[in-house]
Amino acid sequence: MLDKTLVENVISAALTTGGDFSEVFVEDRFTNNMHHQGGKLEKSLAGRDFGVGIRIFKGLQSVYAYTNDYSEEGLVKAAKTAAKALQGANSKKDIILPLEKQSFETAHPIQLMPNSVEKNRKLAVLRDASEIVSNYDPAIAQAIIRLIDEEQHVLIANSEGIFVEDKRVRSRMAIAAVATDGTDMQTGFYGPGAYQGFEFIEGLDLNHYAKEAARIAVTMLHADPAPSGKFPVIIDNEFGGVIFHEACGHGLEAEAVAKNNSVFAGKIGEQVASDLVTYIDDGTIPNEWGSINIDDEGEKARKNVLIENGILKGYMIDKFNGRRMEAESTGSGRRESYKFAPTSRMTNTYIAPGESTPEEIIANTEHGIYAKYMGGGSVNPATGDYNFAVNEAYMVKNGKIDKPIRGATLVGNGAKTIQKVDMVGNNLGHGAGMCGASSGSIPVNVGQPMLRVSEITVGGREAN
Amino acid sequence: MDLTTFRKQLFTEGEKLGFTDLELYYEKQEKFSVKIFKGEIDGYESSTVNGVSVRGLYNGQMGYAYTEKLDEDSIAFLLKSIQENAPLLEGEPEELFTGEGADYQKTDYYSTALQHVTAEEKIAFLKEVEKKIYAYDPRVSQTDYAAIQDESIEKGLFNNKGLTLHDRNNFLSVIFSVVVKEGEEIKSDLYFKITKDFAALDAEKIAKEAVEKSLSQLGEQAYPNKNYPVILKNTAAASLVATFASSFSAEAVQKGESRLKGKLDEKIASKQVTLLDNPFLPEGTHSGNFDSEGVPTNELNLVENGKLVSFFHNLKTAKKDGVNSTGHGYKSSYKETIGVSPSNLYVVPTEKMYEALYGNLEEGIIITDLAGLHSGADPISGDFSLAANGFYVKNGKIIGPTTLMTVAGNFFEVLQDIEEVGADLEFSPMSSSGYIGSPSLKLKGLAVTFD
Repeated sequence: MLDKTLVENVISAALTTGGDFSEVFVEDRFTNNMHHQGGKLEKSLAGRDFGVGIRIFKGLQSVYAYTNDYSEEGLVKAAKTAAKALQGANSKKDIILPLEKQSFETAHPIQLMPNSVEKNRKLAVLRDASEIVSNYDPAIAQAIIRLIDEEQHVLIANSEGIFVEDKRVRSRMAIAAVATDGTDMQTGFYGPGAYQGFEFIEGLDLNHYAKEAARIAVTMLHADPAPSGKFPVIIDNEFGGVIFHEACGHGLEAEAVAKNNSVFAGKIGEQVASDLVTYIDDGTIPNEWGSINIDDEGEKARKNVLIENGILKGYMIDKFNGRRMEAESTGSGRRESYKFAPTSRMTNTYIAPGESTPEEIIANTEHGIYAKYMGGGSVNPATGDYNFAVNEAYMVKNGKIDKPIRGATLVGNGAKTIQKVDMVGNNLGHGAGMCGASSGSIPVNVGQPMLRVSEITVGGREAN
Repeated sequence: MDLTTFRKQLFTEGEKLGFTDLELYYEKQEKFSVKIFKGEIDGYESSTVNGVSVRGLYNGQMGYAYTEKLDEDSIAFLLKSIQENAPLLEGEPEELFTGEGADYQKTDYYSTALQHVTAEEKIAFLKEVEKKIYAYDPRVSQTDYAAIQDESIEKGLFNNKGLTLHDRNNFLSVIFSVVVKEGEEIKSDLYFKITKDFAALDAEKIAKEAVEKSLSQLGEQAYPNKNYPVILKNTAAASLVATFASSFSAEAVQKGESRLKGKLDEKIASKQVTLLDNPFLPEGTHSGNFDSEGVPTNELNLVENGKLVSFFHNLKTAKKDGVNSTGHGYKSSYKETIGVSPSNLYVVPTEKMYEALYGNLEEGIIITDLAGLHSGADPISGDFSLAANGFYVKNGKIIGPTTLMTVAGNFFEVLQDIEEVGADLEFSPMSSSGYIGSPSLKLKGLAVTFD
C-alpha cells in the first residue's frame, strides 16, 4: 500500500521532537452501498476511502494527524507538524528500525470478495428480501432493504517494530419493514452482518430475517402503549445483548477506566455483577461481524474475560490508555477509519450462557415485560446511566407471554442492573450492530442468552 | 493529482465512454482539535482531507461514485463503478442543474480572523477554562471531556454543462463535560458552544456555566409517575426538532414516510409555532449560497403560525410535485447521494423569557436534556420514549433535579401542545443533517416516569 522505506521515514520524522512512540495507519477501503425501496433499486453507490493516520506519543501526551496526501513529502510534513505539538523534555524511547514485515494466517476466510461479484447478483437478493417483506401482510407499506459491503485494506506500522497488513471484508443486509393501518406507522428491523464476503448475503435465510422484520412492524401496529413503572424484564438473546454493551461494556473500556471515569474503575477482583453473569469480549470468533485478525494498532485479537461469575476480571485496553493504567494492550484498539485515532473498543461482546431454558424464564415471571427485540440505546459512562428502545415487547402475565406493547424505553444504571440479573438462559446468540464512540462508528456484535433482570424502569406513555 | 487536472481528465474520459452529463462535487475539510486532562494535552488532532463525488448520466440513469484518492486509478474506478451501477437503477433519474438564470447570494461564511487563531492560543484558552472549572467548586471531581476544535470546509461543484460554484465556511467549538460528586452521587453534563468569534469566548463564563450545569443535577429526587406540564429547555427542544425534521422532507412525504403527507396548508402545530429554515444565518454551520445540486439557497418558512406552508424540496422531489426546488438538495458529505434536508432550521423565538415559561406553573417538569434520540424515537410515526434529565417545579419555582426520567409522547402531538415559545434560541450540537435550533417550549403535558 505504501513503500516500507517511506513508512519508516514517516515514523522517524514523527519522533524528531522527543516522542517515544509513533505509528502509521494506512487505509484503502472499497465500499458498496445498495438501497432498494418501493420495489426499486433507488441507490447504488460505490466508493473508495483512502488516507493515512500518524500518531505520536510522548508519555501521556498523544498527537494524531491524518491526511489523504500520500506523497512522501506530504506525509513527512504532516508527521513533523504533529510532532511540534508535543511539549516538554525528550523522553526515553526504544525505536526498532528498520521494520520487518509480520504475516499471519487469517482466522476469517472469505469465499466471494464483494467487488468480484456482479451487481446483478446482489440486486437479486435485494429483490427477494423486498418481496418477502411486501408479501407478508397487506398492512406492509414499505420494504426498505440495504446491502452494504466493504473491503478494507490496512497497513499498520509503529516504532516498536510492528509492520503488518490485513484485508478485512464485511457484508451486511439491513431489512426494514414499515406497516401502516392508514394513520399509524410502525417499523420492524433486522440487520444480520458478518466478517464475510457475498457468500454470507447469498446464504442468508431471508425467510427468517425478512419475515421477522415484517412481522415486528405488523405486530407493533396492533400493540398497546407500554406501561410505565418498575418491572422484571426478560431480554431475549442475540441483539438483546445491546443492553449490557451499553450498560457495562463501555464502562469496561480503558478509555473510561484509565481516567477513573467508570463505575468499574479500580474494582478488579470485586463482585460487580450477579454471580450468574460472565461477560466476555472475543475478537477471534471466526467470521463474526465484530471479529478482527489484528486490531487497529496491529495487536492480535484475543478473547478477554471481563467478568467471571460476577467478579470483575479485566478491561478492554488500547496502547495509549494502557500507559495511564500501566497495563498491556488486550488487542482492543479500534477505529472507524484513518480519520480517527484508535481507542479501546469492543469486538464481539456477550454474556456467557447459563442453565435456564427460555421456557423456564418466562414461566417463572408472574408480572413483567418480555423484550423480544431491542433497539439501540446510549450510556453516560461516567454515571453508568443508560437508555434503550425496545423494538418488540410483550407483557408477561402469570408465566405466559401476553399482549404486545409498544413505545417501551428501558432506563437505569448499568452497575445496578447487572447486579439484578436473576436468571440466565442457555440459548446464547449474537447480533450485529454499529457502535459509535470517540474513535468513530465500528462493527461490533452484541450477544447473550435470554436473561431476566429483576427490576428495570420502563417508560411508556401510560403513566401508572 | 490536482483537482483541475483530475476534473478535466475525468470529464474527457467520461464523455468518451458515452456519459452525457457529468458532475464533480468536491469537498476539502481541515480540522484541528485538542483535548486536555488535568492540565496536560491528552489528545491533539489535525487533518486535511479531500473527497470528490461524481454523478454521471449513463444509459438514462444517474450513477454515483466517490473517492478520496485523486489519481488515474480512481478516475477509472469512478467511471467503471457508475457504468456498473447506473443500468441497475430503477428509480426516477436525477437531473443535473445547469444554473441557467440562477441568482446566487455571494456571502462568504469563512472567518479569516478565526483562521488566524494559533494552536497555542486555543490550547492556552482550553487550559484556562479547565483550571477555572476545578477552582469553581470543591464538588468538581474531574472533567471527562475538555476539548476545543475548529473546522473549515470548502465546497466546489462543477459540471460539463458549464456550472462552477464555490462555497466555504468555518467555525470553532468548545466542549466540556464536568463530573461532580457529592457523597455517593455522581453527575455529569455536557456544555457545548459553537462560534466564529474566538475573541468573544469568556473562559470565566464558560467554566461557570459548565460546572453549574452538572452541579444543578446533584440532590436528585423521584416524583410520582404521571402526566406533567413540561418545559422543554432550548437545546432539548432543538434535539427533538432535529430528530423529526425529516418529516418535512418532500422525499419522505413522497415515499410515504412522513405523517405530514397531505397536510399542506393545514394547521399542524399550535399557532405559537413558526418554523424557519435560514441558509443565510451568519453563525450557521450549514450556511451557504447553494445546495449540493447547485441550486441557489433561500429562506423558507415551513410552518407559519401553526400552518404547514411548505416542504423541503430538491430538484427530483420538486419535479414530481410540480414545484420549484427550495434549494434543500443536500448530501451530508461527498460519500452520500443527494437527499433532502434542512440548512439552519429553527423555531422562531418570541420575547418571552425562559423563567416566565415556568413562573406560573403550579406543578411541572423542566427537561434540560434528552438522551436516546437515535433509538427511542421513531422519525416516521413521531412516537418517542426517551431518557431525560431535568428539574421539578412547584408553585412557579424550581425545587431541584429529578432522578433519571423517561418521557414519552408523539412529536406531532407535541407540536399541537406547544402553549408558549421562549426567547432563548439555541442550536443543538452539530449534526450532519442540518443545524437545528429552538427556544425553550412550554408543553401542555407529557407522560413522565422516574427511575
